[in-house]
Amino acid sequence: MATETNQQTTQATDRSFADRLDAWLAEDMSPRRALAVYAVIGLYMTFLLLPVFYMVLVTFTSAEFLYSSQLVPALSDFTLDNYVTVMSTGLFQQYFINSAIVATTTTAITLVVGVLAAYSLSRFEYPGRSGLLFTFLGTQMLPRVLILIPFFLMMFTIGLIDSLLGIIVAHSVLGIPLGTWLLKGYFDDIPKSLDEAAKMDGCSHLDILGRIIVPMSLPGIAVAGFYTFILSWNDYLFVSILSQTAATRTLPFGLQLFQSQNAVAWELLLTAATLTMVPVIVLFALVQRWVVEGLASGGMKGA
Amino acid sequence: MATQTGQPGALARYGTEFREFLEETWLGYALVLPSVVLMGIIIIYPTLRGIQLAFYEASLLSPQQQTFVGLQNFAQLFGAAGFQTALWHTVLLTALAVSIQYVLGLGLALALKEKVPGAALFRSLSMITWVLPIIVMVIIFRFLTQNGFGPVNIILGSLGMETTAWFGEPGVAFPLVVLMHVWRNVPFYAIALMAAMKSIPDTQYEAARLDGAGPLQRFRYITLPQISYVSMIMIVLHVIFTFNNFDIIYLSTGGGPLGNTEVLATYIYKQAFQQYAMGYAASIGVTMLLIMMVFTVVYAHLEARD
Repeated sequence: MATETNQQTTQATDRSFADRLDAWLAEDMSPRRALAVYAVIGLYMTFLLLPVFYMVLVTFTSAEFLYSSQLVPALSDFTLDNYVTVMSTGLFQQYFINSAIVATTTTAITLVVGVLAAYSLSRFEYPGRSGLLFTFLGTQMLPRVLILIPFFLMMFTIGLIDSLLGIIVAHSVLGIPLGTWLLKGYFDDIPKSLDEAAKMDGCSHLDILGRIIVPMSLPGIAVAGFYTFILSWNDYLFVSILSQTAATRTLPFGLQLFQSQNAVAWELLLTAATLTMVPVIVLFALVQRWVVEGLASGGMKGA
Repeated sequence: MATQTGQPGALARYGTEFREFLEETWLGYALVLPSVVLMGIIIIYPTLRGIQLAFYEASLLSPQQQTFVGLQNFAQLFGAAGFQTALWHTVLLTALAVSIQYVLGLGLALALKEKVPGAALFRSLSMITWVLPIIVMVIIFRFLTQNGFGPVNIILGSLGMETTAWFGEPGVAFPLVVLMHVWRNVPFYAIALMAAMKSIPDTQYEAARLDGAGPLQRFRYITLPQISYVSMIMIVLHVIFTFNNFDIIYLSTGGGPLGNTEVLATYIYKQAFQQYAMGYAASIGVTMLLIMMVFTVVYAHLEARD
């Protein structure tokens, strides 16, 4: 008897748990299906996020733990020493500032040039327009290493080697085709009847761009800005040939600071890497909704 | 007579038409001009110069001295063992990475499209690997597989298995490079494919269910055909990305150990900036460009036929 009631109660709680799960889920989603979905998502998240999470975890522990062949740190292993060391390294600060200057300036230039070009491609009809669109997309296909050689010679000739300006120009131009293409997709979504109405009221094209198109496509501008920012922040190839001294080095290239030919200061390298990814992650958190949406609609629609 | 009076009239008409045309379009041209000029100087011109360089013998050390050698660079290229190996690695890497990415991306898309609480959060979280700087990804993977105290080796060691610096192992470095490509890009596929799946109306699935179609049949005959366009875009994009990619391999293995992961992009970089053989390096770049153009045209053609 006693066991029977026990079973009944377990069943009852089970059912109520299932019921609650069921009530929590969408109408056409069975609890079994939901658990299977969570299991699959869980596997993927482990594969994708565990390596990043583990790196961040290790940066908050002492070097002794890192080199101890232990997997799980004890509470006493946690310390902020690595961050103190890395952040007080003069060259690291310098590279971080260089990266910030390069990436923000690149983003600003790309957005201004890209918004103007996208408005032209979205709202004007003229000979050569479709050819231009094709060229914008086609540049994405070019091997960057092919551009690199003549580009290096050209920058050498005009004296932009080893200057932040040279890097900014290079990154901006790399960002412009994709940025313009994305922005055009968003601009195309704004009904042309709005332009017509504004024209009736005596607005010029620049008024329309500034007062209608830009305010209505802020998510698109945020996404294009984000793409450009990470393109610049993450670039190694162009910085590696344009930068010759510490004064112009950005973070991806500058992380070599913590490794030499035979020895790597892993605790510092991992901490510097974590700090390098922080701005990207923070920006992504701000725009992720639109990035995911844009990948889903705007980004694909154009192509 | 008629032609004599007609000509000035026609000319004047053309003049007015041209003025009207300019009035409507000059701003269009003006707005697009900055981007065209910048792209012309930084992308188009260097590309054309690069193509031209491929037919010259030129050293990075004395760029002024360039001798026209016709197709000699290409002849040398196709006979070079280094080039053949790099080309094979590039093709193998691209084929493996893109197909694994697609299959895994499809799996994640199927899970993320479900209406479970928290799906939106997981969509965003999964994109983290895609926005991460490549150097950070490489550092993570190098650390994980580091000899001695790398977590992978700690686990292998506790199981009594062989431990080593895995990026330095000839048979392991290449699979690791493939793994990094997969790890980085799977979320991008997943989000794009998921969006395509979500745009399929539920009524189609219900109709198929009423007709007695099982989950696999519904996937095969409803889902797959309707995500084929997005699939094509993703595959073409990633074939181009992977084929041209330089950073992932250069930063993780540098093409080593013993040339086991040397791809065309790293081969060019070394030829140009370490061997200073600019013309030769450019001819490899031109070959890469040609291969990608042929691929894109053939793929788009095949897709259009379907």
